[in-house]
Amino acid sequence: MTTDRIPARMHFGPATMSAAGLALAVGLFAGTAGADTTPVKIGWLSSLTGPLSSAAVAENQGVKFAVDEINKAGGIDGRKIELITRDTAGDPTKAVNFAQQLVLSEKVDFVIGPVNSGESLATVPILARAGVPNIIIGTVDELTDPQKYPRAFRAIATNEQWIGSANDYAIKTLKRSKVAIIGDTTGYGTSSAKKAEALLADAGIKPVYSVLIDANKTDLTDEMTKARAAGADVVMPWSAATGLLARVLNARGNMQWDVPVVGHPAIMGLPIKDLLNKPEYWEQTYAAGYSSTTYGADGKLPAPTTALMDKMRPEFGGTINFTFWWVTLGYDTVKIIEHAVKTAGSTDKAAVQKALENTQNLKGTYADYSWGPKQRNGFPDSGIVINKANTFKDGSFEAAPH
Amino acid sequence: MLTVLVSGLAIGALYAATGLAYNIMFSTSKVLSVTTGHICMLGGVFGAYFMLDLGLPAPVALVGAVLVGAAFGLLTEVIAIRRVLARSDEHLWLLSTLALATMVQQAVGLWWGTEPRPFPRLADQDFTAGVLDQKYWLPIAAVVAMALGLEFFYRRTMYGKVFQAVSEDAFAARARGIATDRTRALSFAIAGALGGLAGFAAGQLTFAFFALGLTLTLYGFIALAVGGLGSNVGALVGGVALGLFQTLATYLFGGEYQQTIAVGLLMVVLLVKPEGLFGSKKVRPV
Repeated sequence: MTTDRIPARMHFGPATMSAAGLALAVGLFAGTAGADTTPVKIGWLSSLTGPLSSAAVAENQGVKFAVDEINKAGGIDGRKIELITRDTAGDPTKAVNFAQQLVLSEKVDFVIGPVNSGESLATVPILARAGVPNIIIGTVDELTDPQKYPRAFRAIATNEQWIGSANDYAIKTLKRSKVAIIGDTTGYGTSSAKKAEALLADAGIKPVYSVLIDANKTDLTDEMTKARAAGADVVMPWSAATGLLARVLNARGNMQWDVPVVGHPAIMGLPIKDLLNKPEYWEQTYAAGYSSTTYGADGKLPAPTTALMDKMRPEFGGTINFTFWWVTLGYDTVKIIEHAVKTAGSTDKAAVQKALENTQNLKGTYADYSWGPKQRNGFPDSGIVINKANTFKDGSFEAAPH
Repeated sequence: MLTVLVSGLAIGALYAATGLAYNIMFSTSKVLSVTTGHICMLGGVFGAYFMLDLGLPAPVALVGAVLVGAAFGLLTEVIAIRRVLARSDEHLWLLSTLALATMVQQAVGLWWGTEPRPFPRLADQDFTAGVLDQKYWLPIAAVVAMALGLEFFYRRTMYGKVFQAVSEDAFAARARGIATDRTRALSFAIAGALGGLAGFAAGQLTFAFFALGLTLTLYGFIALAVGGLGSNVGALVGGVALGLFQTLATYLFGGEYQQTIAVGLLMVVLLVKPEGLFGSKKVRPV
């Protein structure tokens, strides 16, 4: 918006003055109407407390850092971001209540999250009904659908991408074919185990052993003994429960069973390390990870990851003792919104949808994203890398041996 | 198969210990406190905290965990029971103890973290010991010691007889000069101490995990209802039966049936013998 004044010493005739005055008035009005300075309101549904809060806390750091960075640079097209965070505590009921509050009371322009797939399954239909663009960070495949949820765009990899990559690694790289699948009895664990079986069936493999276990079961010796008796030459756990995953590795170690474990990314998390009976029980353990947080042959991380790490390192007190891809994902969700608003030229919901639908190869830190009119999963297959679990350093991992 | 039985016995022992803690509190208050499982959770979490974070030796950590349990038991009585029982005959204690249990779980989650954390080995033993591993036998030994100790307490000590008197008829006991309020508070402290001991003994089995409380509250109650409310033998038998049923069900049919089996066992027993296997039938004269 212009604030320049016409210098007093300049002289104009009446007609010129009238025309200039009209032009100035039009210009001022046009300027006021064109330069929207209202904040871009982003609702952030994050399970900062409760189960699985580790991921949410790290993602929250990325989200807040991106918001601060954009606001310090003047906002999105001059509009500051207003971040409205709601702690769902991992509870789908709370997530639903907060989603409704964000949409109806706060009238947000975007919603990021929730963090957990179970919560997202409850909130995605609500946000879709309200027509609010939703950046999805849950992995369950059912969370996106261009017909049912046209404004839900996923930033994170899908469960199918995780499982497919792990299956490929077990079958093609490790040359294993006698698979034991271990899932937990939660909705996520059950659906993941089924998906794993289905994808293996596509590859012509029938698991020799498949079981669902209560996530808090205190001992898995029996299940691992049965898997070994069934002739399994690779164990594939699909669960996000730290305790269960640690018990799989402890049972394997205590049995002195020399079998690789390939599975869910949570098996690489630092909390697992503390729960292992012996550090060597983490050997021969691989999981789906990301190229953005995988060290290359030269021992370096990709440049965007290093750049973000360097910028944020002071906030972490110098050391990064959690999985860094959570931070990159949080950071990217805000950058995706920035891209959408800039491309659409506003926060008009239909225009934002169109902008995201036409996004191809948007450079991010966690990944490069592409969506389309019928594609709501933006994460590329090439962004997945199988990591070696016991190589954690600075929130990142080494690639599994090939 | 032997591992199935031993691990079933071990987790069943923890359920039984929770059932015993329920019984001690119930005997003097007729309250089934939702905080019972959380007492055991605190025993595990504080045991790990004392040993791993503060570097205290195991015996000191055990005493600390027992004291924390006793303090929480007493706190439950003071905050969630005493005033509620004084003002109402209705089952409002269900809400007050649920509220306290929720607050404690949230507080521990915020302080301790929401991921399970390790519980250290208490005796020098290799992890390849199989069914002889201490993680199985410590909770079993703890619940046996608890049961024997309670038996001695109830039968051989004056306070035990006072507990029994209050349990049988609180009004008559008060008329005879027994301070029933103080007795009730003591029973909650004792239940807390024993719950802390059980949580500590089972720490290697359960890890030090903030969300363990509600699970134990549920399964401890099922063990007690199956065995018979008020019966310590019933709590032991109910707990062990539940633990064995759960592990056998998981072993034979898969984990998705574990909870169904537990609740199914409760329903069958309640249908056939509503007072539980060792419970006494109450007849109201008309």
